[in-house]
Amino acid sequence: MSTRDSILARIRQNRPQATALPDIHAVPFIRYDNPFEAFATLIRNLGGDAVQLAAGQSVADIVASRWPDAGRTVDLTLPEHEEVSDPHAWHDVDVAIVPGQLAVAENATVWVSHPDNHFRSIYFLTQKLVLVVPRDAMVDTMRDAYARIDMAEHGFGAFISGSSRTADIEQSLVMGAHGAMAALVIFV
Amino acid sequence: MKDDSVKHPQAAAEFLKDRAQAKWHDSAIWWVRQKRDAQAKQLPEWEELRRLAREIKAHTLSQLDDYLAQFEANAQKNGVTVHWAADADEHNRIVHGILAARQVKKLVKSKSMLTEECGLNPYLEQRGIEVVDTDLGERIVQLRHEAPSHIVMPAIHLKKEQISELFHKELGTEAGNNDPTYLTHAARANLREHFLTADAGLTGVNFAIAETGGVVVCTNEGNADLGTSLPPIHIASMGLEKIIPKLEHLGVFTRLLARSAIGSPVTTYTSHFHQARPGGEMHIVIVDNGRSDILGNEDFYQSLRCIRCGACMNTCPVYRRSSGFSYSYIIPGPIGSTLGPSRDMKKHGSMAFACSTCGSCSNVCPVKINLHEQLVLHRKKAFDQNLLPTGKKMGLLAMRFLTQHPALFDLGGKVMRKVVPIIPESLTRHSAWSRAGRDLPPMPAQSFKEQYQQRSQNKKDKQDKKDKEEQQ
Repeated sequence: MSTRDSILARIRQNRPQATALPDIHAVPFIRYDNPFEAFATLIRNLGGDAVQLAAGQSVADIVASRWPDAGRTVDLTLPEHEEVSDPHAWHDVDVAIVPGQLAVAENATVWVSHPDNHFRSIYFLTQKLVLVVPRDAMVDTMRDAYARIDMAEHGFGAFISGSSRTADIEQSLVMGAHGAMAALVIFV
Repeated sequence: MKDDSVKHPQAAAEFLKDRAQAKWHDSAIWWVRQKRDAQAKQLPEWEELRRLAREIKAHTLSQLDDYLAQFEANAQKNGVTVHWAADADEHNRIVHGILAARQVKKLVKSKSMLTEECGLNPYLEQRGIEVVDTDLGERIVQLRHEAPSHIVMPAIHLKKEQISELFHKELGTEAGNNDPTYLTHAARANLREHFLTADAGLTGVNFAIAETGGVVVCTNEGNADLGTSLPPIHIASMGLEKIIPKLEHLGVFTRLLARSAIGSPVTTYTSHFHQARPGGEMHIVIVDNGRSDILGNEDFYQSLRCIRCGACMNTCPVYRRSSGFSYSYIIPGPIGSTLGPSRDMKKHGSMAFACSTCGSCSNVCPVKINLHEQLVLHRKKAFDQNLLPTGKKMGLLAMRFLTQHPALFDLGGKVMRKVVPIIPESLTRHSAWSRAGRDLPPMPAQSFKEQYQQRSQNKKDKQDKKDKEEQQ
């Protein structure tokens, strides 16, 4: 018998008593009166920031005023943008502006998933990550978020919250472990 | 690899010799427990979430074979290759086989307690493959040739001075610069080079979704993401208990994991891998290594619900005061103390005794595993299998005899209360129960039983008096 079949056979033999799957939608989860406020407060504690685009302002304006001396900048929200064939080619990106499909108020995460998986490495290689999210794409909790995303769509997707961080040295929180050193969410 | 000959009491005594560091260890970990509590209080549905998580996992375990088969079929539909490993050796052979076939020279690894359990690093290194652990804490212990001392905070046993010295030697950082930001960014620069030059990336798995055939990995550092989006090969090693039925169930577990683990609302990256990156390949190795046997054990199978958050260690008064290296199994603390003896009672029996049965672990566990009850059952097993040191065994037998003979127990107590106060301190100082800074308490005048009887009598007298007054 193959390893697979012998493992499955042993599990079948050892199965504990059957229990029912609970209905996770039968339980009330938290709702926020002001989801943007909840999101923005949280993300500041997680090494990020969140702003709403003002009338007459562009994403590029905000990015330029925040990082006037930025190096290589790639903006994937533009219809015409730079493309690469090798994911390593993003290694010196300083600012990456990427579309975020959904924001979650309870933990300040943004769901990113791109039709072209070549771009996957840019979220993590860039020094500063700018996530551009439609204002109305905000949900309260992760339960609502999973109800809205399609996993089969792109083969990869991530919830990203704030900047890369670690507390592995004496529990001191340090921003900028491997991924982005700074994160900015712009609601448009 | 973890030294499985460790005996908890001796190793704990060794750890406690450095009083200052032991105190720091205790307080640093307790702080994480407090952060967890603060997070739990922010969600009115916290206890409901725990209940849902418990029930989802219980259901999944009761149909685990079906869900694993469903997961495999869906992963294959996504173009992912699925492998099955009966034990650690088969896991290592499979991983090495994938790497060797593609002439991989360097593997970047994200923290995975399963590969620690399997001893993957030395296996691959002996076969000429460079393995770079990329989680900062894991990298630190790798450079020190140690195992992680905590499943979420692998280097929590170290002070920054020790890490500074290590990095000076290994990475060429400034001598004496102990600043955590400086040290972290030095490691960042060094590990980036490894990410950019690796031929393959390996991750663990936090959750595997039967419905979609994909796996979820949670990190704060982004190491799993760099390690899988740059090299063309992604290998995910998962214990077979990591399955959940549907995507929607992630909405329960991703809310519990980081809050329980580090007192944060979420990890920075919660990444869902369903396909390899373009031009690459993805493999998932499903590992049994004793898990299906535990599943068949009515007393202990609940431990397979564990999502490896580490909340039980952070709250455990014994773990905090004895450190992860005092435990012989790769996973320390309460959850390790039930998993270890379930695997091998002879090797890990002493772990089940590293417990004060306070029950705090069971109270914080996000999937409500009855941890302290399992530890008590393991102790009984260790006793029945005659695996206790003679002293401990004799003590327990004496205790059993005493509790079965109440009159003798009372007499014993009476004698103790008279004799202990007159024993010279020099004789008591070296007992297992006493050490510097922990003197024997003053003996009470009465036993608990006498106090209780006295109190009941007083209450009765008072009532009688009141009744009498009312009658008059």
